[in-house]
Amino acid sequence: MEKLDIVGQSKQRVDALVKVTGQAKYSADLRRPDMLIAKALFAKYPHAIIKSIDVSKAEKLDGVAAVMTAKDLPGRNGYGILVPDKPVIAERKTKYEGDPVAIVAAVNLDTAEKAIALIEVVYEPLHAYDDPREAMKDDAVKIHEQHPAAEKGNILCVLKLDRGDVDKAFAEADIVIENDYETPMVDHAYLEPDIAIAELDSTTGGLILTSAGQAVYATKRCLAPVFGLPQSKVRVVAPVIGGGFGGKEDSTLDVCAVAGVLALKTRRPVYFELTRAEVFRTTGKRHASYIKHRLAANRDGKIVAIDVQTILDKGAYVSMGGTKAPLHGVTMRTLVYAGGTYAIPNARARAYSVFTNHPYSCAFRGFGAPQVQFAVECQIDELAHRIGMDPVAVRTLNMLKDGDMTITGQIMKESRGLGLGECIQKVTQRIKWDQPIDHGKGPVRRGKGFGAFIYGTGIPLAFEGSSAFANLELDGTLNVAVSSTEMGQGIATTVAQLAAQTFGVKYESVDVVFSDTGRSPDSGPTVGSRSAVMVGNAVAEACRQLRSRLLEVAGKQFFQADPSTLTIKDGLVYVEGRPENAEKVATIAARAFVSQVPLSVIGTWFPPQPTFNSADGQGEPYHAYGFGAHAVEIEVDTETGVINVLRSVLACDVGKAINPAIVEGQMEGGAAQAVGYGLMEEPIMAAGVMQNTGFHNYMIPTTKDLPDLESVIVEHSNELGPYGAKGIGEPPLIAGAPAIRNAIYDAIGVKINIIPLTPRRVLEAIRQQAGQAR
Amino acid sequence: MTSDVQLATRPADVSARDRVDAAKNLVVSFVLNGKPLSVAVAPTELLADTLREGLGLTGTKVACGTGDCGTCTAILDGEAVRSCLMLTAMVAGKTVETIEGLAGESDIHPIQQAFIDTGAVQCGYCTPGMILAAKALLDENPKPSADDIKEAISGNLCRCTGYTKIIEAIDKVANAVA
Repeated sequence: MEKLDIVGQSKQRVDALVKVTGQAKYSADLRRPDMLIAKALFAKYPHAIIKSIDVSKAEKLDGVAAVMTAKDLPGRNGYGILVPDKPVIAERKTKYEGDPVAIVAAVNLDTAEKAIALIEVVYEPLHAYDDPREAMKDDAVKIHEQHPAAEKGNILCVLKLDRGDVDKAFAEADIVIENDYETPMVDHAYLEPDIAIAELDSTTGGLILTSAGQAVYATKRCLAPVFGLPQSKVRVVAPVIGGGFGGKEDSTLDVCAVAGVLALKTRRPVYFELTRAEVFRTTGKRHASYIKHRLAANRDGKIVAIDVQTILDKGAYVSMGGTKAPLHGVTMRTLVYAGGTYAIPNARARAYSVFTNHPYSCAFRGFGAPQVQFAVECQIDELAHRIGMDPVAVRTLNMLKDGDMTITGQIMKESRGLGLGECIQKVTQRIKWDQPIDHGKGPVRRGKGFGAFIYGTGIPLAFEGSSAFANLELDGTLNVAVSSTEMGQGIATTVAQLAAQTFGVKYESVDVVFSDTGRSPDSGPTVGSRSAVMVGNAVAEACRQLRSRLLEVAGKQFFQADPSTLTIKDGLVYVEGRPENAEKVATIAARAFVSQVPLSVIGTWFPPQPTFNSADGQGEPYHAYGFGAHAVEIEVDTETGVINVLRSVLACDVGKAINPAIVEGQMEGGAAQAVGYGLMEEPIMAAGVMQNTGFHNYMIPTTKDLPDLESVIVEHSNELGPYGAKGIGEPPLIAGAPAIRNAIYDAIGVKINIIPLTPRRVLEAIRQQAGQAR
Repeated sequence: MTSDVQLATRPADVSARDRVDAAKNLVVSFVLNGKPLSVAVAPTELLADTLREGLGLTGTKVACGTGDCGTCTAILDGEAVRSCLMLTAMVAGKTVETIEGLAGESDIHPIQQAFIDTGAVQCGYCTPGMILAAKALLDENPKPSADDIKEAISGNLCRCTGYTKIIEAIDKVANAVA
């Protein structure tokens, strides 16, 4: 096997130096004095009929370049990644507090804000829905009077999974565990607020949009109809991004749409930035979920069936929630992962996606998996306690092994990497799971908890796959271009390492262009923990093509040798084993150039076609899955309800860590977000109005909330991944919250099935249990 | 002694956009990254805006505007402060350091190097503020404990890293300085 000297090394990030010196240019840093400043008047009422809008005073204000309402738009008043149901500007109705009612461009921010304040809107408020269980009732007011995809009333879709004979299995099972679980909406809380710059493209007559977005090609396709432009005339560029976590797949559309239509109207460049409060109020959130989970098992601990109903808070628009085939989104994942990472022969799952007047629920790290796997991991812990078995032993007994079938009917293969067993072993060793913990005697008690997870690499949509561009320069350096965005996850570095390793030049000889539809081919969106594998494979394919072309020239024109006997390493070409007689890549590239050998190539890679039937939930949605185990030690203050996480040990099977430091970074960041998800983060909604719209009342973890986050990398190679890799961006978040919840049970014997486990919720549960005991 | 805050004879013409802003009729003198400087600003102008827009020093970030996140951290007379909550007029006669002032001509600052070496950088939006908070700490307390480090950067949010590698980077610098 090829010896790897670049892949597998913690190479310095390509963007590290510019980021530590403050030289990295984010979207906000590209603002110029000639740009108009845009502001939006967002809906005063989350659910209302718009009776009238008067913009005349705003238009007359000195310094205002344009005021637009829905009637002034140049194209379709609707967009969305999957379904174009979100208006650029609300026309007849508002459906959440992030709907713009009018938009303004002015010479400066102060004038734009004054103009917004001068717009007069008359509303007729309607009942605003906070709870999908209320909104799905037959007599509920329809939030979308006419929706292109909704099945019935406010129910966007109902997806089903059926496998085996669930009723029989439940009837015959020794033990049935039935619980209700609730998980919250969560804000992505990326530090860089949403920003778009729109400018006319003097070359094409179209638009150039510069915005912190995770999917430049999808943005172009979604918004071209909004601008009334062909897709070829919309260029989308994402500079380095200050965090995305799934949110900037959608929120970039919101800001680009507003900036774009104002630029077309005024024929001037327009800058639009959301305030932090606007980011909280208007951009997408994680789907809140209400889950009824029934699990049937035998006394020996073997799970025989599950029966799961998940109701998702869709918010106001489809976004990445998805519908029936082929537009699968978050809803479909709640079926796929309804049984967690376990082999369960009989399964029934129903997923309801229901509109409310909340911010649209969108992609967020884990994409439906954290919600249902929270329920599963709590259920399996309860199973262990009921039968007096160790919680880890129950998991090991039931976990998916080589040849086992998932509840979607997919056979698991070790050749695609099945490292859960090793993850469990490493985590339990490190946290000394088998040694009893001192639970304490005073008001502060200690406990240990465990969680495990599964997560598919990539997106289970028919188009899944990537293209990448590679250009060998005549001085022996290599340019690679991908449309993936660099939002901190390190894709530019990962791609550079894969290219250098595969082609045979030094890591420092590779430069990566990213996320510009004018300069990169379509590598797909930067979501779904897909880029290292899908884009990585496309880059590797491009580099293999270049390599074989170069070796062909080298063999014929330099070495008089069969190309298969040659190698390229560190920018030198030589007969394998004879590096003393080497030619520089640059020398051979120059010869190739004058021999009509093409040195610009497109590499592509497509995984096996994903399949999934939304009528029965059967199919093979992913070519490979990542796995992991997460254990925590916590302290519960039984007098205040405060939980303190003392230790967090997470092991993830990543197939192959292309850059271990970057992989650890993903794991540590995911573990931190899991603490936020499990303990702290929750938008407080009152009739559709978010009450906590700042970092002082929407709390995310600080250094004071987290322990040293311990990570263990496990590598069970995926035969189809580049050098064996699987996705790692999202998975680290999934099992932390249930591990914390299970640790609380271990510490004080109190079972809480709603997250976040805020001090108030914990105290209430403690008091309720004490009350019942008396 | 002359005052470091003076009324300008006429508003400074910084940019077309600023012409319609409140008059920049206040001249504020301070030391920025080691160099004395006078800038004409509006009396209500925030230090973060002066740095970013007036002076083009965009390494200072503004992620919340309410003093909660720490991305706008600057060092004022040795203390880490929120430049989004301070008026530029308040820094008259004082010394301000931003991320752009940290690197020398040929070398970057040891804290910057440590952030690179430990993999403490992901999206990078918190990084300048985090590095400045670390510098203010180490200038004051060269041998901080892990708790001192956690305390010093507890007002700087990071959504990517979980802080583990950031704390490691700062600790590494502290332990390297003999």
